[in-house]
Amino acid sequence: MVYLRSLVFLIAGLATTLHAKSSTGDSVLVVVEPNQQDNYSLFFNGLKEQGYDLTFRAPKAETPVVIEYDVANFAHVILLAPETKVFAKDITPQSLVDLLGKKTNLIVALSPKQTPLSSLAAEFSLTLPPPGTPLLSYFPEREEPASVIPVPVPASHSILSSNLPPVWFSGAPHSLGNNPLIVPILRAPAASFASETDGGSPDALVDAAERGGEGLWAGSQLGLVTGFQTLDGSRITWLGGAAILSDEFATKEVSKGVPSGNLQFARDVAKWTFQEAHVLRIDRTTHHLVNTTEPLELYTTNDQIVYTAYISKYDSVSSSWVPYSGIKDLQLEFTMLDPHIRTALLPVSNEPGKYLVTFRAPDRHGVFKFLINYKRKGLSFLESSTTVAVVPPRHDGYPRFLSAAWPYYTGAISTSVAFFLFSALWLAGDSREKRAKGHKAE
Amino acid sequence: MPTAYPLPKNLSPATVANTASLIRIVALALISGAAIASRLFAVINFESIIHEFDPWFNYRATRVLAAKGFYEFWNWFDPTAWYPLGRVVGGTVYPGLMATSGVIYNLLHAINLPVDIRNICVLLAPGFSALTAWATYMFTKEMKDASAGLLAAAFIGIVPGYISRSVAGSYDNEAIAIFLLMFTFYTWIKALKQGSALFGTIAAVTYFYMVAAWGGYAFITNMIPLHALVLILMGRFSSRLYVAYSSWYAIGTLASMQVPFVGFQPVKTSEHMAALGVFGLLQIVAFAQLVRSHISSQQFQRLLVAGVVSIGVLGALAFVLLTYKGWIAPWTGRFYSLWDTGYAKKYIPIIASVSEHQPTAWPSFFMDLQFLIFLFPAGVILCFRELRDEHLFVIIYAAVASYFAGVMVRLMLTLTPVVCVTSAVALSTLLDTFIDPIEPEITDDAQSESGASTTSSVPGTNGAASTAPTATSAAASKKAKKAAPAASSEPGLKLSDVFASSTVKTSRPRGIYGLDTRVMIVFNTTLVLAFFVSHCTWVTSSAYSSPSVVLASTNPDGSQHIIDDFREAYYWLRQNTPEDAVVMSWWDYGYQIAGMADRPTLVDNNTWNNTHIATVGKAMSSSEEVAYPILRKHDVSYILVIFGGLIGYSGDDINKFLWMVRIAQGVWPDEIQEPNYFTPQGEYKVDDSASPAMKNSLMYKMSYYRFAELFGGNPGQDRVRQQQVPKVGPTLDYLDEAFTSENWIVRIYEVKKEDPLGRDLKSANAFAHGKKRKRSKPAPRRRAIV
Repeated sequence: MVYLRSLVFLIAGLATTLHAKSSTGDSVLVVVEPNQQDNYSLFFNGLKEQGYDLTFRAPKAETPVVIEYDVANFAHVILLAPETKVFAKDITPQSLVDLLGKKTNLIVALSPKQTPLSSLAAEFSLTLPPPGTPLLSYFPEREEPASVIPVPVPASHSILSSNLPPVWFSGAPHSLGNNPLIVPILRAPAASFASETDGGSPDALVDAAERGGEGLWAGSQLGLVTGFQTLDGSRITWLGGAAILSDEFATKEVSKGVPSGNLQFARDVAKWTFQEAHVLRIDRTTHHLVNTTEPLELYTTNDQIVYTAYISKYDSVSSSWVPYSGIKDLQLEFTMLDPHIRTALLPVSNEPGKYLVTFRAPDRHGVFKFLINYKRKGLSFLESSTTVAVVPPRHDGYPRFLSAAWPYYTGAISTSVAFFLFSALWLAGDSREKRAKGHKAE
Repeated sequence: MPTAYPLPKNLSPATVANTASLIRIVALALISGAAIASRLFAVINFESIIHEFDPWFNYRATRVLAAKGFYEFWNWFDPTAWYPLGRVVGGTVYPGLMATSGVIYNLLHAINLPVDIRNICVLLAPGFSALTAWATYMFTKEMKDASAGLLAAAFIGIVPGYISRSVAGSYDNEAIAIFLLMFTFYTWIKALKQGSALFGTIAAVTYFYMVAAWGGYAFITNMIPLHALVLILMGRFSSRLYVAYSSWYAIGTLASMQVPFVGFQPVKTSEHMAALGVFGLLQIVAFAQLVRSHISSQQFQRLLVAGVVSIGVLGALAFVLLTYKGWIAPWTGRFYSLWDTGYAKKYIPIIASVSEHQPTAWPSFFMDLQFLIFLFPAGVILCFRELRDEHLFVIIYAAVASYFAGVMVRLMLTLTPVVCVTSAVALSTLLDTFIDPIEPEITDDAQSESGASTTSSVPGTNGAASTAPTATSAAASKKAKKAAPAASSEPGLKLSDVFASSTVKTSRPRGIYGLDTRVMIVFNTTLVLAFFVSHCTWVTSSAYSSPSVVLASTNPDGSQHIIDDFREAYYWLRQNTPEDAVVMSWWDYGYQIAGMADRPTLVDNNTWNNTHIATVGKAMSSSEEVAYPILRKHDVSYILVIFGGLIGYSGDDINKFLWMVRIAQGVWPDEIQEPNYFTPQGEYKVDDSASPAMKNSLMYKMSYYRFAELFGGNPGQDRVRQQQVPKVGPTLDYLDEAFTSENWIVRIYEVKKEDPLGRDLKSANAFAHGKKRKRSKPAPRRRAIV
């Protein structure tokens, strides 16, 4: 059976190798100056080969609009106009945030120039250096200008392919706020810093360094490419510079005979942003009593409850959702105001995608929620909330004949017996009583 | 024998008795009709609708009972009330009212009368008021005679003090409780008079019904023991008292413990200890009587002194010990507030915040009882004249109820029946005296024996009325003789000479001469009664028949204008929000939201959880930033506030706001402080000079949000508080206005979801409105090493 299923998957996978698709849609709007469109042809062609449907639009062109009648027209938008100061009126920071709310994914390129987009970055807890200060680095020694930097990529990264060669970068860095929704993708090299193009005055740099780095935009804490996943689940990736996607950098060698990782890097970023990878969802959840199958609306306190969640992961190769058992740290909370129970929700072996836990309901009545709240950087958020009521036992649901109640039973029984005996004696002794009375009367 | 006016001669006593009883039946039927009819103003002026707040819960519970049956009702857990705590309704409710309606509903359906459950609920109170009139008749008949009973029935049928709680639609526990109260008292008196275990048992059963129906049953629980205690102390212990009390207490207590909400309270709480104590005392006294009949009196004296002292001391010690150990619950706050009217305000603001727990204002005594309040003392004094056991009961009842009615407005309800009874006794004595056709014979020898009570031989209009005294005087044994000297020795009773009648023996003949005095007095009395009727009708129609769910106002042309904002808003909620959307409001509106909008609420009129209410109070009185996490934690989707500033509806939330602050302060004294909500001059203001805490509070913002815009640039006027609101109104970042009713009475706000970008909603809102954010620098990650 398993063999058959995997065979089916294999065939399906083979048929769609070239058409790795997004889980949210294929239409992509690329906002790019027409004269620069060809600079990114490798990247665009890669997307097209994957099956995306690209539409190009100049930043100032009126059509096609991104939001029409309050509906997003495209599943994904790439803004590769980092230096444009004036956009058409439907592209504003507010409308871009709106787009994210409508499940559209964005790739936005920044530049050292001050544009409307750089003010938007602040809303995502990204802080940009002052205008006109690109990232510079004099290491490693190379022919290229200081602002064109080979950035080493971590060998293993949750989003990027492993063992990527360094990627070329040119543009502005940004510092990352402490917003938990930020997903850092590429960090600046340790020896790099942001300064004016000519390197700035060395004195200023020394000054800043002596103040302990205060005011100095430098070091590996700066981000170059940063993802962000909103609470709604849509994703946006900020590129410090558009050049990282360019044909020029894609074909440029990092060192002799070693091609740069830019092309693969761009694919990986697009793959994450366009929700091809790292996309999970909860298919359904159920709950029921142990040894039954039907979910109840009311549980009684101290019931044994079984909670099951089915989770699948999007497989872009087959463009289908595949049951996924890879989560090891999933938790279930049983909450009324505060979690009364928090327990591990573990995958069931042999049943892919099924997570199950059995627990005892708390001895407290109220309206409880089964809560799954699984938020990990890079992965789509898993949230589920099911409301049930936990009620006290029914009037006939309490145990009968408690040993503690024996005094009462004894009391009731003895009174009954005594009453019976008394009645019997009274009735039996009746005639004599009467006679005695009669005697008295006489 | 001279008579003031001619009497028909040739009537047989049987005819008179039959006619009198027919007239009584007709009169009672008419009184019932009047009692029901005068309560229908609310239905005629408005519609057949459930009134006010608590009735909405009772109605909802009744529907559950009618739809699902009694056992489901008993086990009903309501997950939509007190979200997310839920309410175990079956165990926290007095089910008598719902059960009664359920029985009536099933009965009518069994005989194929498909009456809507709502109409049964609406008309239950008027129906039971007719029964109350009958029970009062029976009760008063025990006090004096049938004519006094008829008067009392007529009084209770239309007196506003009772109508205020029993108009059609006022589907509350009191609707049936007053009937049960009077009926229990009647059966108790009957049991006491006859020493009948049967009537004692009936009293116990109605007592059980009362316990199942109203929390005010504690009044009976303490009245009857008090009566028994007074009888014992006055040396009136008898086997009749023993039988009546023992059968009532034993059966009544066991039965009352079957109500889940009451449970073991009758043996555990202080309020019920009096009944238990008197029960014990009765056993001791009865035992003492037994011992006395067997041993000599000197021995008995010694034994009695020692026994009484030791048992009394032991009993008191045991009670103190049990209370101290916590086995007997100490008195509750509600109880303390009965003695110290300032207590609740200091310690339990939640009780003090209810308007019907305030002390009664003097005018409301006149408003609710009119001339009965003047006759009331006279009736009590008349009770002293005979001072039989049952008269003692009325005297105690009158004293206790007058005190309680002075302390709490709502307890006016328990005073009303005794006022009706005593006034009827007084008035009927007056009428007896003046309608009585017999004139005293002018002779020198005092006709002491026959007196004026020659009734048995004189058939007349008052035949029925005057047979009772004769019968009772015949039946009265030592007690009446004992009472008579006691009554005459009372100096205050000189007053009663005015109403002189048969029982007091004097040397001179007493009576009224001539027709003119009679006509004058009777005419005046009739006039007073007519005024009473017109007063009752007016008060009922104008003050007590408003459903308060629907408001009425008058158009300039005099026609009636209906303000229906509440239902408009509740139906909006019902139609436009998801079924599990939690609505937060102040607790007053909890039952209405549950009943009309069918949405879960955080708090409601069943104010059992002070902390939960304080949480709502805190959310309402804090700023948006502080309130938002509270709202999210409780899954609140909508907030409902009542705002009367536009049309001058004074019962709105801003006027109740200080109670929210006080209740919240009780739980979070560090975060909420009442003085912060006043201006530095100590005024409660909503205009420009309002304090910052006031202006930032969620309640203020929700009430006045966009209010100033209504006035098109002119300063807005709040018509409840007669203040000008600030020209620039408050802004909301965490809430969205969802609905405002026609007259702005009900305003509903939707709680925004968390910002998808993880910002706080204030800055998200600023961004959405295109405001520039201040540039920030990256946070330093390293400390300078110098």
